[in-house]
Amino acid sequence: MPRAALDRLAARLRTPTLALALALAAAWLYAVASAPNDAVQGPIQKILYVHVPVAFAAYLGFLVTAIGGALYLWRGDEQYDRLGISAAEVGVLFCTLVIVTGPIWARGTWGKWWSWDPRLTVTLLLWFIYLAYLLIRSFTEGSERGARFAAVYGIAGLAAIPLNYFAIDLFGSRAIHPENLQRGSLGEGMGLPFGLGVIAAIAAFFHLLARRLEVEALRQADAAFAAGAAPIRAGSAR
Amino acid sequence: MNVFWAVLWKDLVSEWRSRDRVVSMLVFSALVVLVLQFALPADAGRRLQGGVAGLLWVAYVFAGVLGLNRAFALELENEALSGLALAPADRGFLFLGKAIANALLLGVVQAATALVFALFFDVSLAPVAPGFALVAALGALGISSMGTLFAALAVRTRQREVMLPLLLLPVLVPVLFGAVRATSGLLSDGTLQAAPLQLLAVTDAVYLIVSFVLFEFVLDE
Repeated sequence: MPRAALDRLAARLRTPTLALALALAAAWLYAVASAPNDAVQGPIQKILYVHVPVAFAAYLGFLVTAIGGALYLWRGDEQYDRLGISAAEVGVLFCTLVIVTGPIWARGTWGKWWSWDPRLTVTLLLWFIYLAYLLIRSFTEGSERGARFAAVYGIAGLAAIPLNYFAIDLFGSRAIHPENLQRGSLGEGMGLPFGLGVIAAIAAFFHLLARRLEVEALRQADAAFAAGAAPIRAGSAR
Repeated sequence: MNVFWAVLWKDLVSEWRSRDRVVSMLVFSALVVLVLQFALPADAGRRLQGGVAGLLWVAYVFAGVLGLNRAFALELENEALSGLALAPADRGFLFLGKAIANALLLGVVQAATALVFALFFDVSLAPVAPGFALVAALGALGISSMGTLFAALAVRTRQREVMLPLLLLPVLVPVLFGAVRATSGLLSDGTLQAAPLQLLAVTDAVYLIVSFVLFEFVLDE
């Protein structure tokens, strides 16, 4: 059975993304070390260079999960389901990192571990939606029905996240999380480590995604073989 | 469209005949209000006024989840769900019939629970009843739309009833935000604020459309 297009892509991207992520991480470490301290917050502000890039990756992860789900429902091709579960697992990892680095930064600057600021609340909700997605998969034991259900939930969750954000933004008071999406909102000398961090995180995300896709393809091939299908050439070495 | 009316009628009539779902939802939500009453100081209702609105909606969400679980548990018996799936009709309208039936049943429970709540927490809902009815209806619709979709999904996973709240609650946050803000405004100064209502209306519309489209994929072929 020929390998699916996504699996071939994953195999091709695995090494380049790793190389990119490692190279960027090295450059990023240097840039972070030499970046100026924030005038108000001091050195703790440098958590920004970890916190924001992994946040981008966490949200990207959910977008990919939902897209994989939608493609799976539309086409019925298992490779899209593999994309969905892989993106969800990698995404929840990055989301956990956001929720861990955030409070560390918060404690250092705001003096408290948590706040019900819109962005924090929505990221926490995203984490719960990820978790529910993974629970659906585990409670349906990898069946076709589970793939379909997870795809449905991924799409529903994607619809819910912007609504959550608007809801909480409209009415949530205490918006103390910084809004830093405009050009020039970072100080001088902070743009480079920030940019490097974002690209490094996204490269790391795609690397982990490619790895996870390969693992999932192998797992499904193994399950199909155990169920009595013809032997499948899976994961041939490049 | 006939499917919609048929399913709606079927659900309401079967519920009327046995009344077990509504009764259990009612008793449960009354108990939740009772427990919440113990969670706060004795005069919380009088002192906080609008601040206790959230508690009412907690009771509504719990009752809603209970009712939604039961809605599809019934369909699982005797393969009724497969029967529904085989019906030569647009599954979206099938979903709509079930969702509206669930919303109506939740509405009945909401009305009764509001009375209990007003009694226990010593807040006055009577002067703002029409506005509150609107907020409650919009909230029930939001809970029932995604709730019906996820209930159909959850009831066929391994954890069944436990799955539904895990799936539903993160997604219900916009509905709760709008509903609690609107109710809070009604309780504290009797005004029906436009912004929470708009949020509720938009959320309900989005959720109904998304669930309508996705329900197709939740029923097996």
